[in-house]
Amino acid sequence: MNCETTLPLLEAYLDNELDRAEAREVEAHLDTCEACRTALGKLDDVRRALRDNALKYSAPSDLRERIAATRFDTEHARRPRWLGYAAACALAFFAGGVSMQLWNSPQHERVAHDVFASHWRALAATSPIDVVSSDRHTVKPWFAGKVAQTPAVQDFADHGFALYGGRIDYVGETRVPVLVYKHGQHVIDVFVLPSGTSLSSMTDQGYRLDTVDLGGQPAAIVSDMDAAETAKLRDLLKGS
Amino acid sequence: MTATTDPWIGELAQQHLDAAYNLGRWLLGNEQDASDAVHDAYVRAARSAHTYAGGNARAWWLAIVRNCCLAKLALRKRETHLRAVDNEPSVADVEQRAETDQRRAQVAEQLRALPVEFREALVLREIEDLSYREIADVLNVPIGTVMSRLSRGRAMLQRAFADAPEKTA
Repeated sequence: MNCETTLPLLEAYLDNELDRAEAREVEAHLDTCEACRTALGKLDDVRRALRDNALKYSAPSDLRERIAATRFDTEHARRPRWLGYAAACALAFFAGGVSMQLWNSPQHERVAHDVFASHWRALAATSPIDVVSSDRHTVKPWFAGKVAQTPAVQDFADHGFALYGGRIDYVGETRVPVLVYKHGQHVIDVFVLPSGTSLSSMTDQGYRLDTVDLGGQPAAIVSDMDAAETAKLRDLLKGS
Repeated sequence: MTATTDPWIGELAQQHLDAAYNLGRWLLGNEQDASDAVHDAYVRAARSAHTYAGGNARAWWLAIVRNCCLAKLALRKRETHLRAVDNEPSVADVEQRAETDQRRAQVAEQLRALPVEFREALVLREIEDLSYREIADVLNVPIGTVMSRLSRGRAMLQRAFADAPEKTA
């Protein structure tokens, strides 16, 4: 990376919106470049000016009371049960963890949190992949040496799921390969997880996580596709 | 809460009331209008709770708050033909809270002087700590637009800070 490629990424870096690979590249450049460090410092000055100066207004207590005292007729008072789930889910997420209405295991929690976070980061980044290729013979060797186990790489372009590339991401402390597919406008991440990782299917904020066995290795499919499309890809991956 | 009040919306509103009020305050500039807009938003949210289609509840709630603020702002502009943020005694208000903290009052003034689209993006990102995705949901714009508004807003503030170095240094 040089200044020209780093500068446009500095704000996303500051905002914690880069994927880990990009963040590492930015950091590597920052280590060697004073001009970019200065630019980052200036961005951080703006942040500190806004945050440190307590510009956050708190709701007056009379507003709080006014809202608590507001009554509605019963027509809209009944909520479907899934709304309760959604609310609990959202609140849990904001409290610092991804919603876990389906299980309690800490590993589930961490893995699901990490793969969703990684997927969203990748979508926000300029490119969701580190190696661009629709050729599995390029993607597979690229992983070699970067992760403990190189995954089986298949292209399903004939079935509408074109291999788009790959990247490395972290689940907990472990570097895992991520295979990236495209299906129409959908970007799909397939996280190949360490053997023994247990995970259940779930949805979060409109994104879906489905598990699949990839030749003996657990994997997570994460995307905003619907259940039927996800099942199609899962069947293709299973059969490969 | 009584049985006739939708408990979910009430909980959501109370949980994120500070965020809602803070956004309203930065968009409208004074306590009365911000409180009224948040209350309007609460009524609207409760009436349209059945249209909530899942996803990020905080972003959904803040999007309603923002719409109510913009409606109020549009009404006020039609009435007065003045920019909402220019005729408010908010600096004095902030100064009072900070007990004559010059720096704080100045930053507030500089933020308040930004056009609303940059101000709201910065408030949601830097003060409320929302992600790009959440801000995009609140503002109903693509993530790329969020990024460019944040970027321009930050550049404007940097220039404003540089123009007043004796106070902001």
